[in-house]
Amino acid sequence: MKIIVCVKQVPDAKDVRLDPKTNTLAREGVQSIMNPYDQYALEEAVLLKEQLGGEVTVLSMGPPQAVDVLRQAISLGADHGVLVSDRAFAGADTWATSYTLAKAIHKIGDFDLILCGKQAIDGDTAQVGPGLAIQLDIPFVTCIQKVREASESELVLERMMDDGYDVVAVSLPVLLTVVKDLNIPRIPSLKGKMKAKKAEFKILSAEDIGADSACIGLAGSPTQVVSVFPPPPRGERAVLTGTVEEQIEQLVEKIAVYL
Amino acid sequence: MLIVDSELCIGCGVCEESCAFGAIEVIDGCAVVGDACTLCGACVENCEVEALQIEGAEKSVQADLDSWRGVWVYCEFRAGTLAPVSLELLGAGRKLADARGVHLSAVLIGAGTGDTAQRLIGHGADIVYQVDDPALAYFTDEAYGAVLIDLIKKHKPEIVLAGATAIGRSFIPGVANSLGAGLTADCTHLDIRLDDGALLQTRPAFGGNIMATIVCLSSRPQMSTVRPKVMQAMEFDAARQGKIVNVTPDPVLLQTKVRVLESVVFEQDDVNIQESDILVAGGRGMDNAKGFELIRELADSIDAAVAASRAVVDAGWIGYPHQVGQTGKTVAPKLYIACGISGAIQHVAGMQSSETIVAINRDENAPIFDVADFGIVGDMYKIIPMLISKIEGHRKS
Repeated sequence: MKIIVCVKQVPDAKDVRLDPKTNTLAREGVQSIMNPYDQYALEEAVLLKEQLGGEVTVLSMGPPQAVDVLRQAISLGADHGVLVSDRAFAGADTWATSYTLAKAIHKIGDFDLILCGKQAIDGDTAQVGPGLAIQLDIPFVTCIQKVREASESELVLERMMDDGYDVVAVSLPVLLTVVKDLNIPRIPSLKGKMKAKKAEFKILSAEDIGADSACIGLAGSPTQVVSVFPPPPRGERAVLTGTVEEQIEQLVEKIAVYL
Repeated sequence: MLIVDSELCIGCGVCEESCAFGAIEVIDGCAVVGDACTLCGACVENCEVEALQIEGAEKSVQADLDSWRGVWVYCEFRAGTLAPVSLELLGAGRKLADARGVHLSAVLIGAGTGDTAQRLIGHGADIVYQVDDPALAYFTDEAYGAVLIDLIKKHKPEIVLAGATAIGRSFIPGVANSLGAGLTADCTHLDIRLDDGALLQTRPAFGGNIMATIVCLSSRPQMSTVRPKVMQAMEFDAARQGKIVNVTPDPVLLQTKVRVLESVVFEQDDVNIQESDILVAGGRGMDNAKGFELIRELADSIDAAVAASRAVVDAGWIGYPHQVGQTGKTVAPKLYIACGISGAIQHVAGMQSSETIVAINRDENAPIFDVADFGIVGDMYKIIPMLISKIEGHRKS
């Protein structure tokens, strides 16, 4: 089975702090990590490879330093890594991103299954996965929490819903987005780390993938950000005083409106 | 491309501070743009000497923008139930439609929808496109998407709204992508710019640390998914008049490659924590899974649902559907009571938009107290029973 896993390099949220005085993001020492949801997608791809045979290619779009997440993916069991990187991609919204990834996948070649994290933790849109499936003209199922059965031709899956879950069957090729409950990602083996160290990655430009310049970056993006501003400040924290019992009494008064 | 005019730049560093992506640095008294730039334009707006400019090909504008009219709301119907966010969106859509002087239409897709269409009219819809077919009994991205795309192409609405639910966040991105339409996820505020009719879509990003307002000028429809619980539904008015249009879908649209074998709806009704007005959440500070018995007791006494931090979900104390935070759900209830939750940034990202936050934690230095409106330092096993009895006492008085 040929599996492509889409991964994104994102800032680690534990390092992202809001400066309470200026209400701007303090970025000093912010590390970049593989988007957490993508780690579950990668793990599932490697599990399927181990079960059914085949190969796993990881694909990322981002600045040159995003090869770091590809290297990490190799250490976790991926076979190949491809980065699409070009200044011309800057400003891409989810439409332009899904177009660009689709073009890159056409360049990579055949596939049976594409796995993506449900969403990236920096943008939280959950739009690139479904958009990519549309661009590739294949079906998609989002928020997969369990792979019940897998064969070369068909998958039986559980997709998470707000009030429960649906069990669905789908023939390949298909694109899936996954949630956290799916598996527990492994830690890299020594052998994996060695392989990652030596790994080389294909870096594709806009020209390499044959992208139409009107469909990438800012020009290819139907949406535009017109302003960015801090969220409305939360009110001052009220101080509760006295014994714990007195504090609870005051609290009940304060929240009575909701009860 | 973000262009810095080195003649004008005074190296003040305002752009560096305003960049949420860490993409600008002042080097030798002049701003330098790095690879992380997303062309969001925050720096351009903040630059006092107008030294920054975004240049590049503009998105070509679709020729027939003016022929797209009307505001649409996708009304989600699953397992015999209308998602509450649908009515909230009709409330928001009514205001947008009135500001534009156009009709508000609802799209109802499913099977056995009964008198739901009439309900949608009573809550503000002028027209309901009712697509009721046994083949649509179960949600599939393909069939629901194909039906909605077909209707949008026929009737050309200028705005399409849907709930940011599991279903809305799944098939609406496919619909928008097929149409080449702009889509903004998880909006918390919508407004019309009066001079050009643009839909101003505001959403949180970076786990709620910044807000961004997004427009779509070049194509129609303008599409948004909107978080549950942020918009206000209108009171039901049985006297409201509207038109129900029955749509018979072309069988080709109903063919799907994905087959739903089974749809499991949990009996316990508190799994859908995004639709709850009050949440009581438990974290590692509970020390063991039994803590949830107490959490649930409090929740039951105030008609709340139960939420959790990642740590306790990973420990298997409660199921993943209850997890709030970056790799769980984002919630914004009226009241969020965090018990034994330290308040790691990943958790806070999922709940900081709550109207009122109460924190109970024995560690007075826990960061949860930084976002809480009310905090009590102490043992939750002592505090919660007292809280339950005080609430009961308050109700009686």
